[in-house]
Amino acid sequence: MPSLAVRLGLLRLESPLVLASGILGVSASSLALVASRGAGAVTTKSCGLDPRAGHPGPTVLPVTEGLLNAVGLSNPGADAMCEEIREFKSRCPTTLLFASLFGRTVEEFGEVAAHLAAAEPDLLEVNVSCPNVSSELGLPFEAKSKELAAITALVKKKAGDIPVALKLSINWGPIGEQARICAENGADLITAINTVGPGMLIDTNVMRPVLSNQVGGLSGPCILPLAVRAIWEVRRSVDLPIIGLGGVASSEDALQLIMAGATAVGIGTAVYHQGLDLFERVNQGLLRFLAEKGLEDLSEVCGAAHG
Amino acid sequence: MGDAMRTVRVKAIVEHGPGLKSFLLDGPIESAAPGQFVMLWLPGIDEKPFSISDLGEAGLEISVKAVGPFTRALMEVSVGDYLGIRGPFGKGFRLADRTLLVGGGIGVAPLRFLYREMGRLRLSAWLVVGVRTAADLIFPDYFRSLPDCLIVSEDGSIGETGIVTDVIDRIIDQAGTTRLAAAGPEPMLVALRDLGERRGLKVELDLERYMKCGIGLCGLCCVDGSGVRLCVEGPVLSSAELRGVTDLGRPHRDATGRRRCGPD
Ligand SMILES: Cc1cc2nc3c(=O)[nH]c(=O)nc-3n(C[C@H](O)[C@H](O)[C@H](O)COP(=O)(O)OP(=O)(O)OC[C@H]3O[C@@H](n4cnc5c(N)ncnc54)[C@H](O)[C@@H]3O)c2cc1C
Ligand SMILES: Cc1cc2nc3c(=O)[nH]c(=O)nc-3n(C[C@H](O)[C@H](O)[C@H](O)COP(=O)(O)O)c2cc1C
Repeated sequence: MPSLAVRLGLLRLESPLVLASGILGVSASSLALVASRGAGAVTTKSCGLDPRAGHPGPTVLPVTEGLLNAVGLSNPGADAMCEEIREFKSRCPTTLLFASLFGRTVEEFGEVAAHLAAAEPDLLEVNVSCPNVSSELGLPFEAKSKELAAITALVKKKAGDIPVALKLSINWGPIGEQARICAENGADLITAINTVGPGMLIDTNVMRPVLSNQVGGLSGPCILPLAVRAIWEVRRSVDLPIIGLGGVASSEDALQLIMAGATAVGIGTAVYHQGLDLFERVNQGLLRFLAEKGLEDLSEVCGAAHG
Repeated sequence: MGDAMRTVRVKAIVEHGPGLKSFLLDGPIESAAPGQFVMLWLPGIDEKPFSISDLGEAGLEISVKAVGPFTRALMEVSVGDYLGIRGPFGKGFRLADRTLLVGGGIGVAPLRFLYREMGRLRLSAWLVVGVRTAADLIFPDYFRSLPDCLIVSEDGSIGETGIVTDVIDRIIDQAGTTRLAAAGPEPMLVALRDLGERRGLKVELDLERYMKCGIGLCGLCCVDGSGVRLCVEGPVLSSAELRGVTDLGRPHRDATGRRRCGPD
């Protein structure tokens, strides 16, 4: 019998599918809604030290085959998020919980990590790549090698035994190089990719940008080829397990990321296009693939496209 | 695609009282179910959820009570200005015979649309409308003209003196309604749910939670407990769905996703 279970570093997931950060990740109840639908792990909304309301609306706009969003990292703050994490873990013991975090300074990344680690999530995912808060927080930290190195090392120190993933985008420099800096400073995994851009949409009646933040990150099926290429590069560059995401909407898409080098596969925007049943559908498609090819599990095709 | 932003001009504005207006928009929605809502964009300000209070040949009607920065800014909008609309979103009320509609305050807005739709489909409906005072009621002359509508106000300035729960039993007895559809402040909704279920009625409540994306992704409007997304699976929930809601009548989450403090 083929199995969907994967080993992601030291973690074991019953399915390789992970709910991406920022999608339904505000509360234990919203995360539990997805956990019951076939995800192997769920990721919280990126959390900072203090509560944040994010940008005014509009924050999320549909485009052809995708979304443009500038939610602006709204989150309840680290202390409130810890309560949600604890509640989730007691309600959904078989689904792993990844806690996503960000900071406004290098030091703050460490503080948030220390807070969240106390709630014992299964993984800390460090968001150094949000493309829609630059007007307030400056260029994402992934764009600055020294800070990227310092954040990775600091979070790793505060995380104790909890594995640490750095979440990268393709927006500011060569992703393979950034992944190497993370690896050299102790990262256990790489998550890629965050939204692409930033991009902009203009309303032609009022003649101004529609997103209140003017610019936002692009996600969904339209970015799949960019994600496949990015994961390919990360895999070439470092020997770390990869949580691959970006535009996945089917088992075929998920397999492309796996063959490019991902061990686990995140799903975000496709929840909007296809609803919560998508996780189960992709799981079934992956099982069919394993059966057709006569494979035991997905590790046999991880990175297969590299030859 | 209804989910994309479409800007349309304001065709007409009705001022019902201080800080209480209805806006008639030129399109852009062809059909919607009563109870569904739209995300309304005031360019340069913000985007917020509002129930559809009517929809027809004339256009899309939204009724707004000024309660904070966004709704106050809406009061300054003039005929001819552009507003942005995304939607309609969510799941509305079931359209079924022998339904008692109960609205409190600005919660009357979606019931205006529901009452009209039921009339169009020749389904029997009774309406109870409750406000604090006469100036809080949208379209008072319209509601006064309806044969099956009872108006109550806390100060007696319009209709009977009292609150909606005072008169519900009487209407159920008189009209033999078997369903209850309600919108308004949540404490009122909880009381109506309890009352309705005690009388063996099928209950549907139109709930509100903080909404940002409107399309089921951001997670802010997920109720505690079952986690259902009010912008997709709601905002109208049935008795069975309501049993999964653990924060009903209790403090909800704000724009940050944090549970508000307050009486439990
Ligand atoms: C599905 C739905 C339908 C609604 N229909 C109507 C309607 O027909 N007419 C009407 O006048 N009002 C309606 N509202 C409420 C309306 O969205 C708020 O009054 C408005 O957003 C307040 O914004 P503000 O800046 O004026 O006030 P604020 O001072 O920001 O807030 C006042 C109150 O409104 C709530 N609120 C603020 N922003 C939001 C948001 N994004 N989503 C949900 N609640 C919010 C706050 O929690 C607070 O309780 C509806 C809300 C929802 C969720
Ligand atoms: C509405 C929305 C909110 C998001 N919020 C976050 C966030 O808080 N932190 C983060 O690391 N990524 C966030 N993302 C990015 C996703 O996690 C993901 O990396 C990206 O959308 C690509 O995957 P997808 O195409 O499957 O959505 C968000 C994406 C969307 C669409």
